Formats: sequence, C-alpha cells, structure tokens
Amino acid sequence: MKDKHITEILDKASMAALSEGELNEVRAHVLECMSCRGAYEAARVSAVVMKSRAETMIEPSPFFQTRVMAALREQQAVESVPAMLRLWRSAKALVSAMAVTTAALAVVSFMQPSQTTLVAEPASAYSAYSVIMDRDADEQTSYEQVLSTIYEDDDDAR
Amino acid sequence: MDFDLARQAQDGDESAFAEIVRRYSPRVFSVASRFFRQRTLVEEAAQEVFLKAYTQLGSFEGRGSLEGWLTRIATNTCLNIVRGAKRRPEYTVSDLTDDEQSWLEHQSAGDGGEPASVENSLVATDLADRLLSVLSPEDQQALLMIDGEQASIKEVAEATGWSESKVKVRAFRARKKVREAMEKLLSYKSGRVSG
Repeated sequence: MKDKHITEILDKASMAALSEGELNEVRAHVLECMSCRGAYEAARVSAVVMKSRAETMIEPSPFFQTRVMAALREQQAVESVPAMLRLWRSAKALVSAMAVTTAALAVVSFMQPSQTTLVAEPASAYSAYSVIMDRDADEQTSYEQVLSTIYEDDDDAR
Repeated sequence: MDFDLARQAQDGDESAFAEIVRRYSPRVFSVASRFFRQRTLVEEAAQEVFLKAYTQLGSFEGRGSLEGWLTRIATNTCLNIVRGAKRRPEYTVSDLTDDEQSWLEHQSAGDGGEPASVENSLVATDLADRLLSVLSPEDQQALLMIDGEQASIKEVAEATGWSESKVKVRAFRARKKVREAMEKLLSYKSGRVSG
C-alpha cells in the first residue's frame, strides 16, 4: 500500500471529507515518498485557504431592499413605454444633430454666392503712364510733373 | 408560503416582492460573495439576481424551495458576469506579497493550521483568490462550495443545475490544479526548485 502514490486520494475529495482509513494511508505513504509529501502539504494548505475564502461573506446592507425596489420600479417604468417611443427617445439626440447638420449644409450650399469662374480678362496694361495717371488722380499731379517723371524714367533706363 | 408570496409578487404586489428580497438577500449575497469580494460588485450582482427573479417569477412552480430557486438564479447570474470578465494570467511566486510568502512559510512549517487572526485570514483569502484565478468560473464554484463550504456533491448540483457527475469532475479537476499550483509555491519557498 505504501508504494501506491496518494495524489488521486488527495484530488478525489476535500481533505475534510477523507475517511480515517484514507488519511492513515496518506500519512503512512508520505513518510517515505518525498513527492507525495509535497502534494499532501499543498493539499493541506490549499484546504485552509479555500475554507478561509469561503468564510469571506458580505452581508446585505440595510438599504439593499430599498435599492432593489427602486431599480424594479425604474425597470417597470422603462418597460411601460412603447418600444417605438423608447427608440425615438434614445435616437432623438442623434436625429436632431443630423437635421441641424443637414440644414447647415443646405444654407452653405444655396446662400453663398456662386464662386466666380476664372474668366480670362484682358490683361490690363501696367504702364508707367497709367500708374502715374492713377497717382495723378489721387495726388492731383500736374501735367508737367507727369512729363518730367516720364522723362526721368527714360533717363534712368538708359 | 413561498409559493403564495411568489404568486402575490407576480400579480404586482410590491410588498410581497420586497418581502422576498428581505428574506432571501442574505442567501443571494452569500452566493455572490463566492464570486466577488468587493461589496459594490456583490450588491450589483445581487440586484441583478432579484430583477431577473422578478421577471421569471412565473416559472417558479413551488416544487422546490424559493431559496433553492433563487440560489440557482444567483449562481447562474454570477457565472455569466464572471465569464464576461477578463481572466487574470497565471501568477508566479514573484507576484506574492511579503505577507503571503511569510504566511506560506508559516503553513509549510506545519504550525499554521487555521488562519487565526483577521490579518492571517485576509492573507489566506488573497492566496485563495490567486489560486482560484487559474480555474474556470465553473470549476471555482465547484471547489469553493465543496472544499470551502463543505457542501455535498448533491447540493452543488442543485445550486448549479449541473449533473452530479459533472460536479465531481469539475471539483476533481479544480482540486488537482489548485494543489499543483500550491505545490509549486511551497516547493519554491523551501528551495526545492531552483531558478
């Protein structure tokens, strides 16, 4: 009997449920079998921690009953609303946002003046004369001053 | 008595359902406490159990006790919650806290026995959770009920709805896995495993 390893006995039932005969068999075997001694120790300590874990119980608080009844009423209130209405309520924000966006896009598309197409306008001659004449209008330059400025430009160009 | 209470609650008598909650919340909490250690999680699970029970009151035919019926709903509800949660990876001895390591040394020296103080009990409970985390929620349930609460195979079968042979297989597998994990920890502590 001592030659038979005892791990199967250890695994088949809790330590507390092992019979006296099985416990004696285990104890006799572990005196001579090193590997089974480790298994027995582990099973013994595991039984202690499992028992300790099972004793960790949380008691209901005095408000738990009230909490459950409130949750139940809330659930019933939700269920009493027709499904389509519930769907509409949940989707209302999304639908509103989409409508506003669509309206905004419509306004942008139709109200903004159409973009001017690039029509090739004849290139305006950008001459010293026109510049001077423009300036003339603003600054009331005299004809003589214009002529002298033109001739000055010609001199500079040379 | 239970059957009448259930029928009254089903017919919309709020006070009857409130009485069911008052009477059986300790039982539902004890089931939820097997799965969760944080009060908030236990309360959330227990509330879900009662709300589910309310919608299923019609299926309670009064053949068994209302407590047994609620226990099964509680067990299955908690199992569903735990199944949805992410499992922790397998721990190693380096993950153990100093308290856990010294508690194990104390136990392996053979002078431990039962965890006497509150602190020791907490350390043992933490260790149990570490060991249980390597098991499936179903195997955890079977092992905790049988090895922790000394429940019979039949009681576990009734609480879970599993067959007795299924309970035995689950408990055997879980016990073996936990023992092997514990053996590794103890071997490491006594220096039998190097590296």
